[in-house]
Amino acid sequence: MNRIQTCTITAALVMAAASSTLLAKAGIPPRPEQIKFAELAFEPPMSEDYRHEINVDGATVPVYMAPSHEFPLVSISFSFKGGAYLEPADKVGLASMTGQMMRRGGTESVSPTDMDELFDFYAANAGTFVGSTQAGASLNSLTSNLDQTFALFMDMVRNPGFDQKKIDLYKSEAIEGMKQRNDDANAIASREWDAIMWGRDHFEARVTTETTLNNITRDDLIAFHDKLFNPNNLIISVTGDFEPSEMSARLEKALSGWASGQRMPDPPAPTHELEPGVYHVEKDVPQGKVTFGHRGLKRDDPDAIPVAIMNDILGGGGFTSRIMNRVRSDEGLAYGAGSFFASKVWYPGEFGVTYASKSATVPYALRVAMEEINKMRTEPVTEEELMTAKNQAIETFPRTFESKDGMLSVFVGDEWTNRDPSYWTTYRDKVRAVSQDDVLRVARQYLDPANVAILIVGKWEDIYKGNTEIAADPSKVTTMADFFDGHAEELPLRDPLTQKPLPKN
Amino acid sequence: MRHRLLACIAIVAAAVSSARAQQVQPEIFTLDNGMKFLLYPRTEQPNIIAAGWVAKVGSANERPGITGISHFFEHMMFKGTNTIGTSDPARDAQFRSEQDRLRRELLTLQLSEQYQRYKDGEITDPWDPAQDTEQMRAIRAQLDQSIQAEREVTVKNEFDRVYTSEGASGMNAFTNNDMTFYFINVPSNKLELWAWMESDRLYDSVFREFYAERDVVHEERRMRTESTPTGIFQEQFESMFWMSHPYNWPVIGWPSDLNSYTMEDAQNYFDTYYRPNNIVGVIVGDFDPAQAKSLINTYFGRLERGPEPPKVVTLEHKQQAEMRMNAECDCQPQVEVRYHTVPFGHADEAALTVMSELLNGRTGRLYKNLVEGKEIASSAFAQNNNMKYAGYFAFSAETKGDAAPIDLERAWYEELKKLQNELVSDRELQKVKNQSAADVYRSLQNNFFIMLQLGYYEAQGGWEYINNMPRAIQAVTADDVQRVANAYFSETNRAVATFNRKAGSTEDPDFAAMKAALPAEMAAMAPMIKQQIESQLASASLDELMQAQAETQAQMAQMPAEMKPVMEFALKKIAQRIAELKAAENN
Repeated sequence: MNRIQTCTITAALVMAAASSTLLAKAGIPPRPEQIKFAELAFEPPMSEDYRHEINVDGATVPVYMAPSHEFPLVSISFSFKGGAYLEPADKVGLASMTGQMMRRGGTESVSPTDMDELFDFYAANAGTFVGSTQAGASLNSLTSNLDQTFALFMDMVRNPGFDQKKIDLYKSEAIEGMKQRNDDANAIASREWDAIMWGRDHFEARVTTETTLNNITRDDLIAFHDKLFNPNNLIISVTGDFEPSEMSARLEKALSGWASGQRMPDPPAPTHELEPGVYHVEKDVPQGKVTFGHRGLKRDDPDAIPVAIMNDILGGGGFTSRIMNRVRSDEGLAYGAGSFFASKVWYPGEFGVTYASKSATVPYALRVAMEEINKMRTEPVTEEELMTAKNQAIETFPRTFESKDGMLSVFVGDEWTNRDPSYWTTYRDKVRAVSQDDVLRVARQYLDPANVAILIVGKWEDIYKGNTEIAADPSKVTTMADFFDGHAEELPLRDPLTQKPLPKN
Repeated sequence: MRHRLLACIAIVAAAVSSARAQQVQPEIFTLDNGMKFLLYPRTEQPNIIAAGWVAKVGSANERPGITGISHFFEHMMFKGTNTIGTSDPARDAQFRSEQDRLRRELLTLQLSEQYQRYKDGEITDPWDPAQDTEQMRAIRAQLDQSIQAEREVTVKNEFDRVYTSEGASGMNAFTNNDMTFYFINVPSNKLELWAWMESDRLYDSVFREFYAERDVVHEERRMRTESTPTGIFQEQFESMFWMSHPYNWPVIGWPSDLNSYTMEDAQNYFDTYYRPNNIVGVIVGDFDPAQAKSLINTYFGRLERGPEPPKVVTLEHKQQAEMRMNAECDCQPQVEVRYHTVPFGHADEAALTVMSELLNGRTGRLYKNLVEGKEIASSAFAQNNNMKYAGYFAFSAETKGDAAPIDLERAWYEELKKLQNELVSDRELQKVKNQSAADVYRSLQNNFFIMLQLGYYEAQGGWEYINNMPRAIQAVTADDVQRVANAYFSETNRAVATFNRKAGSTEDPDFAAMKAALPAEMAAMAPMIKQQIESQLASASLDELMQAQAETQAQMAQMPAEMKPVMEFALKKIAQRIAELKAAENN
């Protein structure tokens, strides 16, 4: 109270514009909902307005272009279909190594050192990668030396040298990386979770070992590169300081004579069935790292939007979601807790809940999260929760296209995955149409708390007995005996280099 | 090839260096209450505004007993006001004062009885609820009850919900040693919402869920510090490195203090540091400055100016002798060598930054010489960090193969000696300057990141740094680099932390390699083989080892393929043992 008065007097005395200040002050609405906002008209950009094509010796290469001249920088990105799912099981790591070695191994005519020196001296950022389902090469260069950097970039993409010394160095570094696999509880949790979800043989869960790494030869890298990096398997995007017609001509010239190959097939679906139950890995840390869940749905599933809204309310929406509210805010059981529905394009994705809590409260937090899932399946969400989740999705929608790089990467991704072009134009209407009944229906259909797999990394003995000794309120006492009748399977820690189970200490 | 390459580099060098650092000129708008705003309209990213404010207070402004309160405060600031976060402000206030009273009772018992029992050796942790006395349990149960009852009038996370449902995104905050920064992105038509929400929590803040939130912070500490491979050791190293300056306690606070502060402590802290004259607002993106200024006047004009907050008095005392720490952890063996240097804005900051950039990157000296040349490091970095009151320069690296942290440390001293004794070449220096110039453009392409930089620099000492530092880097000479390399990097000005892998935490990699390579039926014998080899080696002299090495190598060719892994393992172990004995001889 006092504050307003003092401030008003000061303002009146000092400011020439005192009267407007006072008026404005009177104009502060009592609640933020009462603020009147100007309309913000936004229509999503259409991919065809940015899409061009160039012809390369019979192959047609799509090129998305969105120039802007704010800075003298050009950013060129080559996207190729394919990834780790194409590597043989005895050479796990080949895809990722090919991606790294294209940048690190020089070209057929430029040594690795010269290539590094050139890119660095020209202050250009150049990179190549092969991920699990996509591969790419990118260049970010000052406009003033684009001729030189782009020539080297094309040489790197088309004629990588795969210098043997650099291959050996890469392998020895990869071994050092492997040695750290069991140091961090999160890394253990992530590996074991993938194995539980996809099966150890599926490319989503396969792990490079010293043996599979050593099986990879320079010839393998050359063959893998030649297969993926071809103009029939390529979409280009360009942003920054350039003229589209000039860029098309530049690209056509740079790509000419590049032998066209095959477009890569789609990634294979997993054959593994998720086994419900409790799994634990022993690790001496004061917190248990918990992930639990089951299979989810495909990206293009007609229910994907209502499921996203439902998950937002359950645990995907951060502080406005139920799991975060109860596990963190009400009970102080974790710093972060939430759920995710990670959809996949080619096969159903995954649903999961994650949190980390001190050992004693791991079971109680699990119980709380399960209660929230069950509640989601039995009671409709409130109108307020639904509006919050829907408004958030609608209001943040323009952000998808806010940067030119981001916009073009959406278009490129959509073309690779054959997304229906009307997806973006109808998105907000579909969100608006989601009802309380829809949320209840998809919660019943896609959440299955009785059949989850639960993975816990931590000190099992402490975790198992739960909060028996510290709970001030007896109704909150929970132990791991309360889940799956106390049955739990211990997963062995695996040798970092061989991935063979390690004996127990 | 090389000749042509260098010729073309020379031509382009001029072009790159003439690319001038982009100038960022925000409009400065200061209210009568002293609150300063940096306004930077930008249209390249339409429909969105990045907005934030930074309070010039961090853990360096704390004192023993309340360490971590700045960070705890950051959590409190999201709990709402008398308007946001409660359905009944009056009852809510009653609950808060009831909880405060109970908590004080509990605290008194903790600091008297429990601390005494702890000092007497009766209990192991005065803060562990499992070791509470009966009386304390009773109070804790009442406290729990009150917290439960308060929930009836609490509107959970309403602050977040209001923003979220209006399409704001990326709401967050961070606390470090020098500042506390709160930020968000809002749709371009909703700047007024930001002004409403932020001025409300500065004008009318209440410390809701004050006691439940500590458990969250304890979990955060467990997650960030105690459950990571090197967290607890990094904390100790920081604490050792800063001898007298308040940088020597962790931002998240010591666990005992985390439990101890009261609402009164919090209110004092707020009244001292969360005054408009100690806060700077930053708005970047798609907005009209005239309209923004009018909103700022309306909303932030109501905040009351406070007295100038107290200055941080204690300077870092000059280090007199080398400091060392040896840790064993579940981590890759590694080393950090750290030197006291200069604070933010010091005349030597640019030269020290250039020095670190000469060392970093794929073509930097550390990668070339430690990762590639000597092949003793799997990674190596230099870092020049200039904080508000003091700074440091650190070398850090992780080992590779059989190398030990000591090898990395020695290699660093060699690199340092080169920088101290030889001028860097023009070309090497130009490379760093070219990269700096291009990176300035890259750092100005995103509203949110521009907002963070402006606020961060302003809190450290002045937003103008965003323009001045790139210019200062272009002006650094080879002589400057040599001078700073000699000025700050003495033995008595350094602290060294070595990290070794805890015994038994994973297998010896050589052993694992042997086991993996052996045929399945022999793999089971691997541990026995290992034991035999190691016991023989332990008692052998240097001469005997050299002889064994020669003989084993000679026999390699005649060995059946399945025995090769064993021989290779033996050779590695012999080589390691020889190296150890030779090193011992040299010392």
